[in-house]
Amino acid sequence: MNETLRIPAIEVKQSERRTLYTFAVDGKLVHRFATISRIRRSEDGNLSGYQRPEVLSHIEEIRNYVESESPMVPNAVVIAFDSRVRFEPFAGPQSPYSRMGELVVPVDESLPEERRPGFIVDGQQRLAAIRDANVAQFPVCASGFITDDVREQTEQFILVNSTKPLPKGLIYELLPNTDAQLPSLLSRRKLPSLLLTRLNTRDSSPLKGMIQTATTPGGIIKDNSILKMLENSLSDGVLYRMNQAGGDELEVEQILGVLFSFWSAVREVFSKEWGKKPKDSRLLHGAGVVSLGFLMDAISERYRNKGLPTKDQFAKDLSPLKELCRWSDGYWDFGQNQQRKWDEIQNTKKDIALLSNHLVIQYKALVWNRAPTARGRQLELSPQA
Amino acid sequence: MRYFLPDSQDLVDPSFDFDTERRLATRQRQRDDLYAHEVFTERAYDGILVSKGIVDGFGATTSRYTLAQRQRLLRTGAPDFFRLSRVKWGAIPMMGDCGAFTYVKEEKPPYTVEDLASFYVECGFDYGISLDHVILAYQPEWDQTGALAEMQERQELTLSLAQNFFDLHQRDALPFTPLGVAQGWSPRSYARSLKELQRIGYRYVAVGGMVPLKTHEILATLREMNCVRRDDTRLHLLGISRIETVQDFARLGVASFDSTAPLRQAFKDGKDNFYTLQRTYTAVRIPQVEGNPKLQKLISSGKLNQERARELEKACLEAMRRFDAGEVKVDHVLERLSRYEEFYDGEASHQDAYREVLEVRPWKHCPCDVCRTLGYHIILFRGAERNRRRGFHNTWVFYRRLQRELGLAAA
Ligand SMILES: [Zn+2]
Repeated sequence: MNETLRIPAIEVKQSERRTLYTFAVDGKLVHRFATISRIRRSEDGNLSGYQRPEVLSHIEEIRNYVESESPMVPNAVVIAFDSRVRFEPFAGPQSPYSRMGELVVPVDESLPEERRPGFIVDGQQRLAAIRDANVAQFPVCASGFITDDVREQTEQFILVNSTKPLPKGLIYELLPNTDAQLPSLLSRRKLPSLLLTRLNTRDSSPLKGMIQTATTPGGIIKDNSILKMLENSLSDGVLYRMNQAGGDELEVEQILGVLFSFWSAVREVFSKEWGKKPKDSRLLHGAGVVSLGFLMDAISERYRNKGLPTKDQFAKDLSPLKELCRWSDGYWDFGQNQQRKWDEIQNTKKDIALLSNHLVIQYKALVWNRAPTARGRQLELSPQA
Repeated sequence: MRYFLPDSQDLVDPSFDFDTERRLATRQRQRDDLYAHEVFTERAYDGILVSKGIVDGFGATTSRYTLAQRQRLLRTGAPDFFRLSRVKWGAIPMMGDCGAFTYVKEEKPPYTVEDLASFYVECGFDYGISLDHVILAYQPEWDQTGALAEMQERQELTLSLAQNFFDLHQRDALPFTPLGVAQGWSPRSYARSLKELQRIGYRYVAVGGMVPLKTHEILATLREMNCVRRDDTRLHLLGISRIETVQDFARLGVASFDSTAPLRQAFKDGKDNFYTLQRTYTAVRIPQVEGNPKLQKLISSGKLNQERARELEKACLEAMRRFDAGEVKVDHVLERLSRYEEFYDGEASHQDAYREVLEVRPWKHCPCDVCRTLGYHIILFRGAERNRRRGFHNTWVFYRRLQRELGLAAA
């Protein structure tokens, strides 16, 4: 079936040889006149095309967003047309560089895909999501240019796709101030990011100003260490038990209460190492922060039937561990002749697991199993020298 | 005879929607997911076996647990972690194991007896298997010519670790029942291990390293062991599920075994994917365009067209849906399936198996909780949510076959 689409557009003359068209088009229509130029090598080894395949899980995220209550996709998609497409100006007002008119786009769906007059240079995932979405239409902003030269298309594809992504830390810091439906990875980070912000800014927080973020560059604790510690407890520890109403304000305040109590206790018990930079002490280093988070969960578990531990209870339970901790000097004794110098503990999965296991096992041996409230288990393992 | 299901963190997400293939955005792994014992209202296994190698990970075997999950398991104990108190079938004993296969290539086990005992105590297991080193060689002729030094050392090491483990268990009065491990390369060497373990004091002995053995070799070994077995000594077969011979096993003192085979076959086997009480069927493969590494590679190198792949995939799903609704016949489904299979595999090789399973529709006759709620999706070989549910179903059927073989229940 042959037809012609006439799309209202503004022609923008950007430089001597480059003219751009900006227009709005229903995202559901785009696939009728434009396609993707897939990258591949032909038999003779020559490269053709420039686009990678779609990432379906990413498309699914965008699709969910498009189907949400009031979505907005402000970024323009970029389409390269061949010379079968032309611009017809309207009579009327114009500026030295722009005028109104119509893009005239031939649509022939009997043509094989790669013969369509448009190629999608940027926005393939967005357009695929809109095509699949359960909505009647979804107009998007588009920019187009007309060229028969595939090199020009490839050049634009590289340019739009090589911008530097935002630093993760900045995104996390912005997260708590949004209400929109976010991609699932980001929405999982939203509560941890909010808790981090409050830990870093509240006057009553023991960690005030100590976490390094985009707006607190002088902090000594890596934001990622705190996020990891929070995520662990939110998935498997005391914060999970407290986070059952979906993170409402009351819950957030209760969670902060536990965090403030615990980290105040850490500050009190390990006062000598508190405030030192990770290179001078492992206490506020990634491995230390994450392992201490597991101690917070273990202590809270021991007090589980008596409510949430207070700062003094946390401090009382942490104190017996003081002797065996080697945050800033000496050698950790991990048992079975395994010794590690304090600054050999790295921020790696393996070292974090080693230190966490050690601290929690020692906590169980020195505090939990000794206390009269302990569960019925007793285990006297070969005493550590 | 009791069947233990080895834990590999096999859970299913109850929020998964099989028509849209989406899940709840708020779903938390493990916390909101379900174990087989939370899915079935009737018993599907007698106990759960948890191995340290799976929990911690070792070498190439990456842990099935996140560090936070591992910490929670040790903190709250296995019954809480596995949410056993919610199960209606009655008690589900938990057995601990070192997971010797994860370090089979090492010279020595990477743990100490104390590490292992502490793991069992912290997890709150009912049974704990001593630390062992697998012998992967069945060579009865070595009884005459002498076994390789390495194999002899592994047997000696396993026995001396069993002694240490038993001593520690006695000294600290540890709250679980200990099992020694018998390793060997022949019926006689296994019998020797058993004799030694009984001398140490074990009355429950796990038999290891038998996974690759043929059934007649297993039986020969158990017969030889039976000559030295005390009447009050029970055996546990590690990783063995030969349902045809359970009666013989029982006569030779086997009280329990563990196996992941019913679960794994659902998505690892080339053809036996769906169990029934009588036989097995092949599941219908409709690979996800974005979940199948082979397909994905062909697409990203530009050799296959992604849109075309998605069209064919969708056509298969649609055909299955309409087939189940009675709108189309078997031939229609087969035609769609073979078009997709030819596209991603180069040929359509499963046509006969698919025709058979589609004509019989065995899932329609299965009374298990999964089949009754899931319908035809259970026969689709596609993605973990369907594949694992089929594995759950297999486990449930396997347990019924076992009871029937043992004459315990009219299954
Ligand atoms: Zn079933």
